[in-house]
Amino acid sequence: MSKGTILVIDDEDIVRMSCSRTLVPEGYEVQLVKNGLDGLALLEQQPVDLVLTDLKMPEIDGIEILRRIKGKWPGIEVIIITGYQTVDTAVKSIKLGAYDYLEKPFTPDALVASVAKAMAHKKSL
Amino acid sequence: MTVKKSLHSLTGKLLLTIGTLMIVGSTIFWYFLFRHQEKELLGNSVKYAYSFVDYIKKSTHYGMITAQKMLIQQTIEAIGSSEGVINVKIYDCRGKIAYSSKSDEIGKTIDRNSPSCRRCHEGSEIPGDTPVVSFSRDKQNLRILNIMNPIYNEDTCYTASCHFHSKDQKMLGLIEANVSLAHLDQSIKQQGIAITIYILIFLFIISIALCTILWNLVSTPVSLLKQGMERVAGGDLDYTLHINTRDEMGDLARAFNAMTTDLKKTKVELVEWGNTLEKKVEEKTQAIQMAQAQLIHSEKLASLGRMAAGVAHEINSPLTGIVTFGHLLLKRFPPGSQEREDVEVIIEQANRCSNIIKGLLGFARATAAEKGPTNINDVLNRSLNIVRNKADFFNIKLVTEFDESLHRVKADASQLQQVFTNMIINAADAVEGKGTITIITKNIPEEGNDLVEIEFRDTGTGISQENIEKIFEPFFTTKPVGKGTGLGLAVSHGIIQDHGGQLLVNSTVGQGTSFFVRLPAYREEL
Repeated sequence: MSKGTILVIDDEDIVRMSCSRTLVPEGYEVQLVKNGLDGLALLEQQPVDLVLTDLKMPEIDGIEILRRIKGKWPGIEVIIITGYQTVDTAVKSIKLGAYDYLEKPFTPDALVASVAKAMAHKKSL
Repeated sequence: MTVKKSLHSLTGKLLLTIGTLMIVGSTIFWYFLFRHQEKELLGNSVKYAYSFVDYIKKSTHYGMITAQKMLIQQTIEAIGSSEGVINVKIYDCRGKIAYSSKSDEIGKTIDRNSPSCRRCHEGSEIPGDTPVVSFSRDKQNLRILNIMNPIYNEDTCYTASCHFHSKDQKMLGLIEANVSLAHLDQSIKQQGIAITIYILIFLFIISIALCTILWNLVSTPVSLLKQGMERVAGGDLDYTLHINTRDEMGDLARAFNAMTTDLKKTKVELVEWGNTLEKKVEEKTQAIQMAQAQLIHSEKLASLGRMAAGVAHEINSPLTGIVTFGHLLLKRFPPGSQEREDVEVIIEQANRCSNIIKGLLGFARATAAEKGPTNINDVLNRSLNIVRNKADFFNIKLVTEFDESLHRVKADASQLQQVFTNMIINAADAVEGKGTITIITKNIPEEGNDLVEIEFRDTGTGISQENIEKIFEPFFTTKPVGKGTGLGLAVSHGIIQDHGGQLLVNSTVGQGTSFFVRLPAYREEL
């Protein structure tokens, strides 16, 4: 049985691949999209437990995706991934309801730990 | 030329003026003295003439009253033969010569209109008892004194036995005598010559004295003054005049010496001022050049920062892939296998890349610092607490000399902590695990703008002159590969600059290095 469903939104193939190769063996069901619009469209059809989104992307950025998800599906946990960490964006994203903040390059262990905690948090609600 | 020049000199003019005045004065003096002498001598002659006529009268009186004509004539002739007497005549009342020292003139009558008679007869009055005196000249142009004295009728005349004169007659005759004044004139002339000679001698002596006095009092000091002025004008400001008299020349020389001293002082001041000015201009130029270099440096760092941020962002994603797939691969090999070790190297190097990227991102600092009043000593203590427990610091002596009255600064505490931690770690690297790191904080009072200074002093190897210029450049490092990114100081420098401060370094190879962070003190708004 699946531990949960996760949607990964990142414009970089290698990041998406890294997430799926790390999380699938851990027992998660992983959907991959390469931009925010596709991600939001997918969520309309099929809600997930957790969204992993890159912060800096063309069209819609991670902060906007976070805002829309939290507006429409407050039950979905969001973890922000970025290669461009700054204090104020971190603070901003946490304020907007993101569960965690992952800094690229992250190790598989860090990703798994963060996701597991988010899932546990969701279940506890 | 010399004469003309000396006539134009002060001495020449004074001599000429005084000389002329003396000559004019002496001439006037000479003239009046001469005239006075002449008048005196003539007066004496006239007195003598009066006595002479009186003497004739008295000599002939007896002959007259006794009517002894021969005796009278003999007496007159005797008197007339005296030296200097030209002639003696006695006229009767009708103008006939009754007696004369020259017997051939006896009996001659002179005309009433003759010069001798006219003197008395011109006026209606009969002249008094006083003899009439006049002067004339003879054929040799020698002066002659002419005396005329009337003979009045007296008791003894008309009572005499001869009864020659009646009682009614008023005037009986006239005595005339002519006396030569040649001797008198001669003595007047001799006296004149003597006076002239005396005055000339006087003038000569006075002139010599005057020349000497003027030469010593005026000419010599003036030429000394002139010489002094030429020397001073030629630039010799050490020249001193040696005129020690108490007069105006001495005053002038003293004033001149004072002026020269003042000039020298002023010149020295001017030269000093010029030197200071040159130095100041040099300092300013250096400061401007430094500011310009700093500006270029800042620009360079800023563009490097932008580039680094872009690169970091692009590289992080592939690094994520390397790290993730490395770990996935790692799980496939049993512990201790060669393959596993190889993959570990890949992961390790990827992590190293990640650290470099973090440094670059710190350097780029995309966000604005959140600044507030900050206690530097507290921030330093936090940094020290982080490093103190690290193994690298076990053999290092950490000394703190904090100023408890240190001003606060307006700063982002977390950024400053990053800077301070970096400084302490750099110092630990410099002492190579053992030595002393001293951290000193103090206030630096500066006009209108107090500063806070934090010094990080180590007893390490020091930084060479060649390297000291490059230490703030990004990616410059002397640390072994893998230990430093070369971004720490560049990032620190950027942060301190962003806080309006300065990051300075002072290092001596073999003795150690001091880094100084200077930040403007925070002014509490009331």
